[in-house]
Amino acid sequence: MQQFANPARFLKIANAALPYIWSITAILFAIGLYGALVTTPPDYQQGETVRIMYVHVPAAWLGLFIYCLMGFFSAVAFIYRHPLADAAAKTAAPLGAVFCFLALVTGSFWGKPMWGTWWAWGDARLTSMFILLLFYLGYMAVWSSIDEPTRAAAIARIVALVGVVNVFVVKFSVNWWNTLHQPASVIKMGGPSIDKSMLWALLTMAVAYTMLFLALHLVSMRSEIAARKLRQARLIEIGNR
Amino acid sequence: MDFSAAHVSYVIAAYSISAVCVIGLFLYVLLRDRALAAKLKQNAEKDTL
Repeated sequence: MQQFANPARFLKIANAALPYIWSITAILFAIGLYGALVTTPPDYQQGETVRIMYVHVPAAWLGLFIYCLMGFFSAVAFIYRHPLADAAAKTAAPLGAVFCFLALVTGSFWGKPMWGTWWAWGDARLTSMFILLLFYLGYMAVWSSIDEPTRAAAIARIVALVGVVNVFVVKFSVNWWNTLHQPASVIKMGGPSIDKSMLWALLTMAVAYTMLFLALHLVSMRSEIAARKLRQARLIEIGNR
Repeated sequence: MDFSAAHVSYVIAAYSISAVCVIGLFLYVLLRDRALAAKLKQNAEKDTL
């Protein structure tokens, strides 16, 4: 872990790994989308609408996973005060927000034909997922509204760590409350209840989304390191005047 | 996929919005990275002069 904490070493490893990650992402998307749209069967109850699952579920998983990652990086930054940990959390936030937004929108497109409604405020899963999106936006607002990076990082870490509680609420909301949203059908005790003919495509799409996030996160971190170098150069220039 | 099935427009809408958001995010991240890398290079060249 400490090996990656050096920005120069991080950039060297990231630049070497990125072409492979992009290639794997493209291959997985091609296989996953072919499975999702062509080879997997329609559901016996939902018909073709079930195909929304292959874009909705991976987006929702990533929305939750990225926030957990932000919480982890924020905890590392709290304990070790390492600036790369803050950069990792900061650059993950916009990516997580987009996946969280996608989960909400594609969920609405799935909800309308299946439940007869686009949205239900009384549903714990939907509302807690919406609150997660607000946490993402709040976290990003902290970084963009405070000019001093050290102060912004200190407040942003607290927002990230508090928001992790909501991730558990999202995950277990379908078990704790009687909701419109169905209970977990993949990550649950006793194994997945989805048929194998559909499960492989869902898991391929989930890995494809995760690889896409990994690639975008590495590029975003590279940008963040460049932005910090530019800021430092600007401060030195102002100091020399 | 049967394009004449019921509710198929919802499936198309879900995939379309996913594609737009993912491609948009991809372009935003890559273009920002290129712009910052170019600025950094420009700064380094300015310093060596």
